[in-house]
Amino acid sequence: MNLPLWTDTMNDSGRKPHPVTAPSRREFLTRCGMGMGAVGLAGLLNAAPSANPLTPRAPHYFGRAKRVIHFFLNGGPSQVDTFDPKPALATYAGKPLPFANLRTERKTGAAFPTPFKFAQHGASGLPISDIFPKLSAHADELAVIRSMHAEVPNHEPSLMLMNCGDSVQSRPSVGSWVTYGLGAENQNLPGFIVLCPGGFPIRDSDNWTAGFLPGAFQGTMVDSQHTDLDKLIENIRSRHATPGGQQRQLELLRRLNADHQRARATDDRLEARIQSFELAYRMQMEAADAFDITREPAHIRAMYGEGVHARQTLIARRLVERGARFVQLWHGAGQPWDNHDNIEGAHRKLARDLDQPVAALLADLKQRGMLESTLIIFGGEFGRTPTVELKNDGQSRLGRDHNHYGFSVWLAGGGVKGGMAYGATDEFGFKAEENPVSVHDLHATILHLLGFDHERFTYRYAGRDFRLTDVSGRVVKEIIA
Amino acid sequence: MTCKMGTSMWQSKGHVVRSAIKAATAVVCVMLAACAAPTKERVVSKSHWAFAPVQETQPPSVKHTTWPRNPIDAFILSKLEANGLKPAAPAEKRALLRRATYDLTGLPPTPAEADAFVADTAPDAFAKAVDRLLDSPRYGERWGRYWLDVARYSDTKGYVYAREERFWVHAHTYRDWVIRALNDDLPYDRFLLLQLAADQAAPKDLNAQAAMGFLTVGRRFLGVTHDIIDDRIDAVTRGMLGLTVSCARCHNHKYDPIPTADYYSLYGVFHNSVEKMISLEPAPARTETHSAFEKEYLAKAKTFADTFATRRDETSARARGRAGDYLAAQLNLSGFPEEGFDQILTDKDLIPAFVRRWRDFISQRERGHDPVFGLWHHLRRVPAGEVERAAAAYLSQSNSATQKPNLLVRAAFITPPKDMAEVAARYGRLFAEVEAQWRDVLDAARKKGNPLPTGLASPDVEEIRRILYTPDSPCVVPDTGIANNESFFTTDQIEALWKLQGEVDRVLIRTPGATPHALVLHDGPAEPQPRVFLRGKPASKGDEAPRQFLSALAGPQRKPFSQGSGRLELAHAIASADNPLTARVAVNRIWRHHFGAGLVRTPSDLGTRAEPPSHPELLDWLARGFVTGGWSQKKLHRLIMNSAAYQQSGTENPAALAMDPENRLLATFPRQRMDYEALRDSMLFVAGELDEQRGGRPVGMHTAPFSTRRSIYGLVDRQFVPGVLRVFDFANPDMHCPQRSATTVPQQSLFLLNSPFVAARARALAARVERDSPGNVESRVRALYSAIYLREPTAQQLAAGMEFLAAPDSNLQPVAKTVPPEWQYGYGEVNATTGRVTGFKALPYFSGEAWQGSAVYPDDKLGWAKLTGTSGHPGNILAHAAVRRWVAPADVAVSITGTVKHEAQPGDGIRAFIISSGQGVLGQWKLHHTQAEAAVAKVELRKGDTLDFVVDIGGTLSHDDFQWTPSIQTLAPLAAQIWNARADFGGPPTATQPWLRPLEAYAHVLLLANEFAFVD
Repeated sequence: MNLPLWTDTMNDSGRKPHPVTAPSRREFLTRCGMGMGAVGLAGLLNAAPSANPLTPRAPHYFGRAKRVIHFFLNGGPSQVDTFDPKPALATYAGKPLPFANLRTERKTGAAFPTPFKFAQHGASGLPISDIFPKLSAHADELAVIRSMHAEVPNHEPSLMLMNCGDSVQSRPSVGSWVTYGLGAENQNLPGFIVLCPGGFPIRDSDNWTAGFLPGAFQGTMVDSQHTDLDKLIENIRSRHATPGGQQRQLELLRRLNADHQRARATDDRLEARIQSFELAYRMQMEAADAFDITREPAHIRAMYGEGVHARQTLIARRLVERGARFVQLWHGAGQPWDNHDNIEGAHRKLARDLDQPVAALLADLKQRGMLESTLIIFGGEFGRTPTVELKNDGQSRLGRDHNHYGFSVWLAGGGVKGGMAYGATDEFGFKAEENPVSVHDLHATILHLLGFDHERFTYRYAGRDFRLTDVSGRVVKEIIA
Repeated sequence: MTCKMGTSMWQSKGHVVRSAIKAATAVVCVMLAACAAPTKERVVSKSHWAFAPVQETQPPSVKHTTWPRNPIDAFILSKLEANGLKPAAPAEKRALLRRATYDLTGLPPTPAEADAFVADTAPDAFAKAVDRLLDSPRYGERWGRYWLDVARYSDTKGYVYAREERFWVHAHTYRDWVIRALNDDLPYDRFLLLQLAADQAAPKDLNAQAAMGFLTVGRRFLGVTHDIIDDRIDAVTRGMLGLTVSCARCHNHKYDPIPTADYYSLYGVFHNSVEKMISLEPAPARTETHSAFEKEYLAKAKTFADTFATRRDETSARARGRAGDYLAAQLNLSGFPEEGFDQILTDKDLIPAFVRRWRDFISQRERGHDPVFGLWHHLRRVPAGEVERAAAAYLSQSNSATQKPNLLVRAAFITPPKDMAEVAARYGRLFAEVEAQWRDVLDAARKKGNPLPTGLASPDVEEIRRILYTPDSPCVVPDTGIANNESFFTTDQIEALWKLQGEVDRVLIRTPGATPHALVLHDGPAEPQPRVFLRGKPASKGDEAPRQFLSALAGPQRKPFSQGSGRLELAHAIASADNPLTARVAVNRIWRHHFGAGLVRTPSDLGTRAEPPSHPELLDWLARGFVTGGWSQKKLHRLIMNSAAYQQSGTENPAALAMDPENRLLATFPRQRMDYEALRDSMLFVAGELDEQRGGRPVGMHTAPFSTRRSIYGLVDRQFVPGVLRVFDFANPDMHCPQRSATTVPQQSLFLLNSPFVAARARALAARVERDSPGNVESRVRALYSAIYLREPTAQQLAAGMEFLAAPDSNLQPVAKTVPPEWQYGYGEVNATTGRVTGFKALPYFSGEAWQGSAVYPDDKLGWAKLTGTSGHPGNILAHAAVRRWVAPADVAVSITGTVKHEAQPGDGIRAFIISSGQGVLGQWKLHHTQAEAAVAKVELRKGDTLDFVVDIGGTLSHDDFQWTPSIQTLAPLAAQIWNARADFGGPPTATQPWLRPLEAYAHVLLLANEFAFVD
C-alpha cells in the first residue's frame, strides 16, 4: 500500500486543478485501472491498516463536486405535480389516455391532471409547480432530469436501485462508494451520514449499506427527530467520565501504548489504533458542535424555518461545512411520498416540509461559496402515474400509483448547469421518451462530477471488479456546466 | 518406519518427535510421498494450479536442520533460506500460551494457566497445552464463529415486506450444530456433506438435519427463488470450493473455467430442493410447559395447514377453469413478469406463476408427437398466416404410427382454426368440456352414494383430464411449502397465508420451552431439466443445463446427477478426496486464522485471478495430509501449532521487513488484532463475568442490561446490524464473507471509551481486585496487570499506575446535578368540571433520560407516559395524562413561556393545559400536527400552589408525542429567577453516582491499551 497516492483534499477551492503531483497521479490511475479495490483499498485495509480508511483521497480526475447532499423523497414524488408539467392531462381529464396505461403495481384509470399550477421561474423560465414557491426562486440553479426511469414499480427494489445500483443483490450504496473513493475531509466526523426523522425508511439500513465494502463506509444513521446528542450518535459522550477525567485516562493510555509500541515499532496498526483514540476524543467535541444548530445565528435559523426538516437540512449544511462527504436526508420513516390517495393534500404538505429548508440551503451554500463544490440531489426512487389510481371497485382514489417508466430528479451545484430541463417524458408524463436517463446513468453522472470515471471505479469482490454502475451507465454530459 | 512416522503426525495427538524430524526431514518426505495411495488420473483445466489434483509434495531440505519441529517448518525455512533470511527466536512462553489460547478459544488464558505453563518445563508442555485447549468447548465457540461468517449466518431473514415473520425459526440450531461438530472434530468431509444433504446422507440422524441451516439461513430476498438460489450457490461454491461460481449467473465466468451452463446445473439442484420445517426431537418430553406449547403449536399449525390446503384447492380449481386463458397467455409471455413483487394480483387476474407452469408443462411436450400438444407445437412453429393450412395438413397426415393426436383434439380442430388465438380458445373449450364431464361423473357418483371414480373411462378423455388434475398438472399448485409456492396465490391470499404461517413460527420462536426446529431442504417433486437463463434473465431461456457438477472439476467423464435433485451427489462431489479445491480451501482457511493471512490470501477465491500461494508445496502437503489423516481439523491445528514456525516470537526483523514487507515468508510471527468477538469476550473474561452457558436462543447484546454471554450467542439481525458490530468489521450477514476487513476507525475507540458496556467491565474488574487485594494500591495495580496482561508491571508502569490512583479524582469534580425541588414529574387527570388536575402521582422510574412507568417502556400499567426535559408522551388513557408540576416556593407572581408542539400527522393529536391549583385552567390547546405558544403573562401564586403542564391523549392513543419546554420566571418586585424545564431536568438525587472511581478508570485504561487488543 502506497500512502502518497492519497492526497489531501482539504483544499476546496473548487477551481484549481487538484494538487496531485504528476507521478503519484499517474501511479494512482494505473492502480485504478486495475480496480481501486484490488490494489488500493484492499492494500490499505489489509497490508497496512495504519491508514484510516476515511483518510481523504484524490479521485481519478478533477471533480467539481467535493461532497454531496441527497434529499431522498422516499415513497416516490409525482413528476407531473412537481417538475414535469403536462398540460395534455388537463385536456384528457377524466378520460382514458390515448394508449393503454402502462402496467404498474396497481390498477389506474383515467388521465388525472395535476391539481397544482405550474409557472416559469428565473431567467431560464424553468417550470415548477406552485407547491415549491421558495425553491422556485432558485430555478436557475436546478438541472431537472425529466426522463429518469427505473426497473420495476415497487418500492423495495427501486430503493435498492437508486441507492445501491442493484435492485436485488446487496451492493454498496452510493454514499459508501463515494466515501470509499474520497475518504472524509474531517476525521472527527463520520464521512457518510444519513438523517431520517422518526425512524427507518423501508428496507431500513439496506439503503445505506456498505455491502462488500468495509463497514467504515456504511452510512451512519441519525434519527434527526432527536435533539439529544447521545441519541444522535452512538457513544458520542461518556456517561462515566468527565472531560477532565477522560483526558487523564487518555494520557495514561498514551504512556502504556508507547511502552508497548517501543519493541514493535514497525507495526503500523499499533500507531493507527493509538491515533484512533485521539480522533475519537476530538470527534466528541466536533460532533456535538456539528449537530447543535442552536449555535447558528438567529437569521440563519430563521432562513431555514421551523420543524424537523429545517433542522436536519441545517445540520446537513453544518456537516458538509465541517467536511462530511455524503449526507443523505430522508423525508421520514416509511414512505411519506407514497401518495396513492389524496395526492393534492399530501403532496402539498410534503412539499411544504421541504420547500423552505431546501431553498435556504441553496442560498446558504451559495453565500458561503460552497454551492459550486457541493452537489445537491433531489428525488425519490421513482415517480407516479399520470393516471388516477383506482380502488378495487373501480372508484378513483384521487392519488397516483408508482411509476418507474418516467420520473424527475433534479441536481444543483457541484458543477451542474442550472436552469435547465433534460430529457422528456411522453405527452402525459408516463414514460421517459426523449433522452432517457437510467439510474446507472444518474450514478455515472454523480461519480463524474466527483471526479470518478464510473467504469474504472471498481472494487474487487468475489472474483469480480464491481462497479456502482454494474455494466452500464452514461454520464449525462448535457447537464454539466 | 519413516513412512509410518510421517502419517503419525496426522493420526497421533501430534507430539512430533523432534529428533527424528531433525535427522531425516528429507527422507521422511520422500517416503511420505511413496506411501500415499495413487491418485486417480483426471483431466481438468491443468493450466491453473488450484484445479490440478493436490500434488504429492515433499518437505524440502534445509540448511538449518535444528530449527524444524515438523515438516511444515521445512517448507517455511527453505523459502526463508532461499531469500537469505532466518526465522525468529522462539516466543516467550507467556506470549506463546496467550497466542495459542486466543487462537483456539478466542479468550485469554487465566494467570494460573499462564503460571502453570511457565512452570512446566517438559518438552511436550506446549503440545499438552494445545491438546487441553482443543478439548475445551470454547474451541467450537471460536471456530464456529469463523464458519458462521462463511455461512452468512443470521437469526433473521432480511427485509420481508410486512408479509412473513422476520425471524427465522430457530436458526440457532444450525449455529449450535456447527459448534458441536467442531468440538466433536466431525471429519471435515462429513461436516460439508451434512450441511449440503443431511436429509439424504443421514436421514435418521435428527440432530444432523440442523446442519442444512448452511443452505437455509441466508437472506429471504422477498421470496424470489432465483436470488435465494444464487445466494446458496454463492455460499456453497465460495465457502467450500473457493470458487466464484455466482459470477457465471449472467455470462460465462470471465477468468475461471465456469460456463454459465455450470451455474444453471447447480441452480437446477437447488431449484429441485424445497424447504421444510422439521422438529429436531422425535418425541418431545412431556413436561407441563411443553404440553402447553404443543397444544398451542398444534392448533396454530392446524389452522395454517387447513387454510393452506383450502387455498391450494380453490386456486387450482380456478386455474383449471381458466385453462383456455392460460393457453392464450402463452402467446404473450412477455406480458407476464417472472417472479417478483411487481404487481398486486387479485382473483380476477391471470397468475404469472400459472402462466409459467403452463409454459414449462407444454414445453416438456415439445419433442416427439405429443397426442395433445403435438398440434399446438406444430402450429407454433409455422408463420402466423399459415396456421389454418398447417392445422388441416397436420390432422390429415396424422394417422401415421408416430403421430396420433388425441381424439378430442382431433375433433376440436375438425375445421381448421384461423390463428393461434383461436387455437388457444379451442384447446380451452376442450379442457372446459372435459372438466364439466368429470364433474358430472363425480356428482353422479356422489348422488348414488357410489365410491368416487379415479378417472374417466375413455382413454382420450382421461388423457385430457389428467392434464388438469395430476399433481404435476399445470393447473395444480405444487404441494410444497408456502416459501416455495406462494407465487401461485393472489396478493391478499399470500399475505393472509404468511400471517398464519407467521403465527406458527412465532410460537416456536417465542415459547421458551419450544421443541427445537430446523429449516431443512428435501428434494422436491421431479422437475424438468434446468435451462440457462440468458444474461441471467429468467424470461430468456437458453439451452438445457442438466443437474451435474462443475465441468472444471468433474472432468470430461462428467455424468448428470441421477438421484432426485442431485443434491447428495453434489455434496459427495464437493466433500471428496479427489476434489482439488475442497481440502486446499479448508487448510488455507485454518492456516489463515493461525497466521493472520492464508497461504493464498483470498480464502474464498482460489481461481485464476487469485495470487499464487506463498508456499504452494506446503499448501498441497497440508491438504493431502488433511485428507489422508481423516479430514480432522483438530489434527491440523495440532500440526500447525506444534511447528517452530508457529512458535516463533513476533520480534521485529528489519532485514526481513525490508525484503518481505508483508511477511509472506513468515520470518517472524505476525501479530494479530483481536476481532470484535475476542475483544468483547475477553473483557468479560478478565473481569470474571463471562457467562459460559452454551447454545440456545440468541441473546440481545447491545442494550443495557448487557448480556455477559459469549458473542457468538448474540442475536445476529441482518436487517439491523448494530453500529458497534459495523464499526468493528463484523461479517456482513447478507452474504458469504471470505474474510473480514480490519479497519481502524475512531468509532471503535468511541465505543471503548464511552460505551456503558466497557465501563461496566472496568467496574467489575476494579471490584474484583478490591475484593482480592484489600487496601493496598500497589497490589491492586499488580493484580490488574496479572488479570489483563498476564504479567507483572514494569517498575515504571507500576509507578504510573500508583500515580494515577493517587491523584485527585478528576471524575469527582462535577457534582451530580440535582433537580430544583420545585419540579415534579408525574401523571394525573384533568377534571373537566373543576378544571383541576386530580389523582396526581409521581412517575416512578427514571431511565437516565426520562421519567416513565418502569424500566420497560411502554410500561404495563402507565403505558407510554413519559417526561423528559423537553418532551414527553401522555399515558394511554385520559387518567394518565403526563403532568410536569411546578410548586411555588413562596408567594410569588410568575410569567410562563414556552411552545407546545405536536409533530405527527397520523392520529388525532393531543390536548395540552396549563393548570394552576389556585385558579384552574390558565390555558388549553388542542394540537394535531401543529404548535402553540403556551404563554401566560402573569399568574399570582401562593406558596405551595402548583402549576401543572399537562398533556393527555385527546381522543385516541396514537402518535401522541409532544415537545414542550416551559419556562417560569418570577416577576418584579422580586429579583428575576428562572426555572427552565430543560435546564433543570434530571433524575432522582439518590441515583447512583455514575462516574468511574479512580481504580475503575484505571482498569478501564488497561482494557483500552494496545497490549490488550493485540496478540503477539
